[in-house]
Amino acid sequence: MAEPPLHGIRVVDLGWLTAGAATSTLLLDLGADVVKVEGPGALDPFRNWVGADPARAWWDESPWFAFTNRGKRSLCLDLKDPRGQAAMLALLATADVLVENYRRGVLDQWGLGAAELRRQFPRLVIASISSQGEDGPERDMVSFGSTLEATSGLAALTGEPDGPPIISGRDVNYPDQVVCLFASGAVVAALMERDRTGEGCHIDLSQRELTSFLIGEEFLAAAEGAPSPRPGYGPGCRVEGDMAFWPGGQAPVRDARALAEAPEFQSGTAVLRSPDGTPAKGIPFRFASRPLAVHGNCHTLGADNHAVMLQAGITAAEIAALETAGVLANRPRKGPTK
Amino acid sequence: MRPLAGRRILDLSGHCAQPPHALAAAMAAKLCGLYGAQIVRPAGPLSPTGTLGRFLGEAIAGDGPFDAAIGDVTVAGAPVLLRFSVFGPGIDPPMSELGLLALSGLLGIVGESHRPPTALAGHQPAYAAGLAGCTALLAALHAGGPETVDISLFDVTCWLNWKVAAAMMVMGEVPTRGGLRADWFTLPASDGHIALVYMEKDYPQLRDMLGIDDPRFATRAGRLTHRAEFEALIRPWFAGRTRDAITREAQSRRIPIGPVRAPAELVADPQYAARGFVGAGGMPAMPFRANGVRPHG
Repeated sequence: MAEPPLHGIRVVDLGWLTAGAATSTLLLDLGADVVKVEGPGALDPFRNWVGADPARAWWDESPWFAFTNRGKRSLCLDLKDPRGQAAMLALLATADVLVENYRRGVLDQWGLGAAELRRQFPRLVIASISSQGEDGPERDMVSFGSTLEATSGLAALTGEPDGPPIISGRDVNYPDQVVCLFASGAVVAALMERDRTGEGCHIDLSQRELTSFLIGEEFLAAAEGAPSPRPGYGPGCRVEGDMAFWPGGQAPVRDARALAEAPEFQSGTAVLRSPDGTPAKGIPFRFASRPLAVHGNCHTLGADNHAVMLQAGITAAEIAALETAGVLANRPRKGPTK
Repeated sequence: MRPLAGRRILDLSGHCAQPPHALAAAMAAKLCGLYGAQIVRPAGPLSPTGTLGRFLGEAIAGDGPFDAAIGDVTVAGAPVLLRFSVFGPGIDPPMSELGLLALSGLLGIVGESHRPPTALAGHQPAYAAGLAGCTALLAALHAGGPETVDISLFDVTCWLNWKVAAAMMVMGEVPTRGGLRADWFTLPASDGHIALVYMEKDYPQLRDMLGIDDPRFATRAGRLTHRAEFEALIRPWFAGRTRDAITREAQSRRIPIGPVRAPAELVADPQYAARGFVGAGGMPAMPFRANGVRPHG
């Protein structure tokens, strides 16, 4: 059987929640090795879920974290500590890709900003996924996915023609989902460009821009002076009760239970299972000659500290010193926040 | 960045049997063009027209050979094929984008509880499938050799809606739209709408900004239980201010509230202008920069 498309590619994942972390998950599913890096004082917020029990190893028990991050190796390294920063640089020296969606400027404070990394590692592909991009007057505007639905134009066009604009809300947070499909492609494109030129690059990706791009035809219409109405369901389409109708067809409006019970959902690839049987984020593409699958369970925090650090050229004695100093860890410093 | 320079890709979107497939194929091909591929796009019955055609790409004549071809299950003519279908290879019943939203649960979860479900604007199921298709096609070309990549429009739409699926499969919960689950929604400002978006950690800042002094609203559970009262209390504060004034005040407190902007405003948006995102005639550029430069074919 052929190797998966990204076999041999090493990804360092500083991606949080969905936008960053699920981008790295798609690269993992395409065959890359992914090391997820968190700090003992800076966990992926998905680990701190509603219902976390302070008396338990809550950080390793979040179903949302496991769903998205299954199969990644886990390194728990304090990047605020200069020794952690040095270890991170050693790891990046062995990597092909860094994915990050930190708040703009934070990695620069730690000597891990894109410009510095580009200088040290010219072959590295750095994917920076942010709300607004690396520059511009609104660079530091704080946004969640649904904020970007508003600021991108999507919300203005979504909803009933005579009703308010609608955002997808916490249960969907649409821009955070769709960016992963695009950002993972931009990383693969940058790896192909590196094959051509020998040079890595810094990908500066604005989620707000992508969300606008996905209504691009409305921008062309608006530039011509055409109004931007909320079209509802579209020409000839309607929803009555639990059924959606369009010219020539109809379908049930499913809720979560109906979706989970649908045969085509169960036989599809949107949600798969980790080897331990737990539901896992699925894989939205199929390759005829290179079948893709969820190969690994969710690793516990810091489970791969030793293996990853040794691979980065750090000696066993140095690893022990980092552990003693708390720079390498396998549990958070603080309990879950409410 | 021109990673597909020298590659020739056949875009058979106009010859797909169904509109969602055609739009997905056209989006994937558009991105390949921005990545430097030479696109040949024969006109067909489902070729996008009007602003849709100008955004996704007009017909381009040309002959093979091709490195890849993009279309539905009938696509052929290249060593790498990207095929769009409804449920997977060979399972391709008549379908619309509204149908995909309905079947995936992504229609039922968006909107308010007392109103009908809401369809995300534009062509999100098809375009998202196009993004997935482009990523997979790039991976196949990167790996080399012949390959057939299948994208299920249904799988992609469900993949986007994973939180709903996972809530059921992991927690046994059935999320419903709006109502007592929704603490993010839009509110009228004096000159349009804003999106009220915040996490629990932001609530003290929001409370202070709005001058709320009611113990019923101190917790998320309280605000959701008394959502109508909470919304009635805060509406006047927003209605009396402009979107920009609200955004400035919220952002100064690091609350992720933002203005609802219409496309007509965004073609001249200062952030987009500073980053060179919107080009001549309102055309959105590739939504990322590589070493400071937007890929443009």
